[in-house]
Amino acid sequence: MKLVMAVIKPFKLDEVKEALRAVGVNGLTVTEAQGFGRQRGHTEVYRGAEYQVDFVPKVKIEVVAEDDQVQGIVDAILKAARTGKIGDGKVFVLPAEQVFRIRTGEMGPDAI
Amino acid sequence: MPRLVRALHALERAYSPGHHGRWSARRRSALVDEAVRDLTEGVPGSVAVVALGGYGREVLCPGSDIDLMVLHAERRPERVREAAERLFYPFWDAGLPLGHAVRTVEESVRGARERLDVACSLLDARLVAGNRGLFDRLDDGIRRQLSRDRQAFLERLVADGRARYERFGSCSAMLEPDLKEGSGGLRDVHSLPWAGRALFGGRGLADLQRHGLLRAAERSALEEAEEFLVRLRGALHLATGKRADRLVLDFQPSLAEAFGFEATAGLEATDALMRALFEHARQVEHVREAFFGRLEAEIEDALTVEPPSGPEDVLGAFAASARTDRPLAASSLDALEAADLGPSPFRWTEPGRRAFLEILRAGPAGERALEAMDRAGLLSRFLPEWAAARCRPQRDPYHRFSVDVHLLRTAAEAAILLAGQTSDAVAGRAADAVGDPDALLLGAFLHDIGKTGRGGHVAEGARVARGVLGRMGVADQVREDAVFLVAEHLLLPDTATRRDLDDENLVLDVAARVGTPERLAMLYLLTVADAAATGPHAWTPWRQALVRELVAKVEDVFERGDMGVDRAAALEERKAAIRSLLAGDARVERFLERMPRAYLLAVPPEAAAAHLELVMPPLARAEVRTAASPGSRPGTHDLTVVALDRPGLLAKIAGAVALAGLNILSAQAFTTEDGVAADLFVVEPAFAEEIEEERWRRMRTDLRKALEGRISLEYRVVEKRRHYPPPRADVPVAVTVDNRASRFSTVVEVGAADRIGLLFDLARTFHELELDVHLAKVATYGGRVVDAFYVRDLFGRKVEDPEQTAEIERAIRARLGG
Repeated sequence: MKLVMAVIKPFKLDEVKEALRAVGVNGLTVTEAQGFGRQRGHTEVYRGAEYQVDFVPKVKIEVVAEDDQVQGIVDAILKAARTGKIGDGKVFVLPAEQVFRIRTGEMGPDAI
Repeated sequence: MPRLVRALHALERAYSPGHHGRWSARRRSALVDEAVRDLTEGVPGSVAVVALGGYGREVLCPGSDIDLMVLHAERRPERVREAAERLFYPFWDAGLPLGHAVRTVEESVRGARERLDVACSLLDARLVAGNRGLFDRLDDGIRRQLSRDRQAFLERLVADGRARYERFGSCSAMLEPDLKEGSGGLRDVHSLPWAGRALFGGRGLADLQRHGLLRAAERSALEEAEEFLVRLRGALHLATGKRADRLVLDFQPSLAEAFGFEATAGLEATDALMRALFEHARQVEHVREAFFGRLEAEIEDALTVEPPSGPEDVLGAFAASARTDRPLAASSLDALEAADLGPSPFRWTEPGRRAFLEILRAGPAGERALEAMDRAGLLSRFLPEWAAARCRPQRDPYHRFSVDVHLLRTAAEAAILLAGQTSDAVAGRAADAVGDPDALLLGAFLHDIGKTGRGGHVAEGARVARGVLGRMGVADQVREDAVFLVAEHLLLPDTATRRDLDDENLVLDVAARVGTPERLAMLYLLTVADAAATGPHAWTPWRQALVRELVAKVEDVFERGDMGVDRAAALEERKAAIRSLLAGDARVERFLERMPRAYLLAVPPEAAAAHLELVMPPLARAEVRTAASPGSRPGTHDLTVVALDRPGLLAKIAGAVALAGLNILSAQAFTTEDGVAADLFVVEPAFAEEIEEERWRRMRTDLRKALEGRISLEYRVVEKRRHYPPPRADVPVAVTVDNRASRFSTVVEVGAADRIGLLFDLARTFHELELDVHLAKVATYGGRVVDAFYVRDLFGRKVEDPEQTAEIERAIRARLGG
């Protein structure tokens, strides 16, 4: 099993969610996140008031999936989250050692 | 004891869960009394068994603690212990919730002196069994202790109410209220008889009324509220199976059903339950405040006003209360509440309007004044529309308060921001940009007034607000701005969190909807105030960063003049014209959304309408669509080329046009956010001959071949140039790279002598530097061209590295010099 974690632009959440549903993902975790990558922070100006934006708002999504589904999930995210402009985000794939469903105690793929 | 347990269960089953009111609670208490008396047979005569707290008042909810005290005057501890064990153990063994204490009279009196909760529970003390004389000594001792400093006791009661409000919030506005400890809850109901008992030994509300401290209407309101609260708490105990006082969301649907609430138009059954609770709790808060006000006769800072001689005086009194931040004295409130406001709906006059606006401007003090008005039922009499928002619960993860409370808080928060009391630098600047505060305050006060449960609250709110403000008679500009704020109060947060802020069209459209920098400032302040008044989770740094980015970008397009009232109007006109030209074509809305705003403003509607067919059908990779028609000047032609945007596209088009022997008189290149290029040219043949269809066809073929990489345009254009006269030597080359002209692109301006293939050369240079030409305006005056190119880098951003901007300039000069 793998944990697929993606950091995407906030407005892309709905499209990514739909794309994941289309490849059979039934559950995901969504977090409002902030950070920076190559895009860095930047300075915004409003009526002469300058303020530094150190961390850019993003949305982080996490999905646990069986190994053979991972590529499909990654592809779906890459396609749906892309605008071609800077700051589109990243996708990480990590090994997930074990999964438990708290209510029933089921574990492994059954618990996904 | 088993008999008691059986009897309690039978009582539970005898009524449906929603009908365990005070009668059932008294019956439960009586059953416990019987069991206690059975258990105390044979207890020594020096002991009294005393019921305390709710049990003392003979009100036991299904899960309530049974508070029992063994009162004694015994010097031999083992005898007391024996009595206590005989009494307490059976309760513990039966699993009944017992609160137990063993005290002497002196210990009790000391406890009452030290702790308010002990004192209150002892004020409800009731002898169940045992020594009457001992109990009377206790009762006497407690009352004497409290009457020694009545003022101090009252102050402790009032302070406790305030502390409970801080800790548990209010039952009159919160979605998961604490029925016992929350403001407007059972504790508040009981605090009145406690005060009366400590002051003159009376018991219950009837005694308070006899002493003239409670109006008949207030007493019945309190009794109804207590009945409702006891029933609700009882039902909650039965549903949770334990002593639970917080009415959590999970249990609300089943309780609403148990109470027999049914969904009506615009109000769910659960909301009807909560609204009923809010209304009762608000009555409790109102009566409690009036009562303690009367007790203290004159709370030090209470404001007394002359009896009103008209509705303006009523508003004036609350304005004075807001201005001085002093609550109105109870006697004054009575008179204000009874005032005649004339025909309904209320007819606003200038003094009344002024007073009302003064209340709003007072911020938190104004909020308190409006709350007092609301509790006295006055706000709905001045503004009938208020009634629908009153006590209406809101169910979403963010809102903590009912609609009316949220509205009052938002107005207060807006006033705080306008006064510059914020650490948010953007809000501070925005406050400076707001000229007249009234529109923002009224907009904040009314922004959710459309939450009546019937359809979209935003459109409804704007409609209602227009009616309210029209009747109020505020100035036209204030009314229009306030209605705008109500209608658009979700524009910034919704757009910022759900849409692509790098989309130029989006930002321009928001700017067009907002219209002016002042409205943008008001809208930002309303967004901040709205969030602050919603709850602690509504204004996260995440949301704030997104909303601020949008605000900064919109302000920027105002400052650059890319959008404003005039342009917004022109844009709307253009869109309307295109819509009517294309009436019946389902694709028109999508077309209008996709096309760059600069395109819609620059291209005449007739031409734009003709472009729909070129732009809308999906394009294949190397597909090129062209359309040519006679131009407005004789001998000129309008040429439109549409293709998927790609690096170097403009260069290839310009090259193919040059190869066809056409001079480019002007050009406008547009790119949609989804990557379709629409390039518009005005061309004329270099040697003033006709352009036959054959020439257009050749140009298309050349372009397609060039896009597929099958021909090189460069050497062919150089070849072609030999047949033309050289460019004028007296026109200097001028290049500027400007990052201030546009929010989204770097603008490169080029002035040079015209020559065949000039645009081809320039566009090729941009391509070589990996720059995407997003928008181009090319104009020819005599032999001279003035071009502006809006370029972005590979990542869709402006070019801000000074080295790179210098390189752009040098590369263009080198290309044109050579």
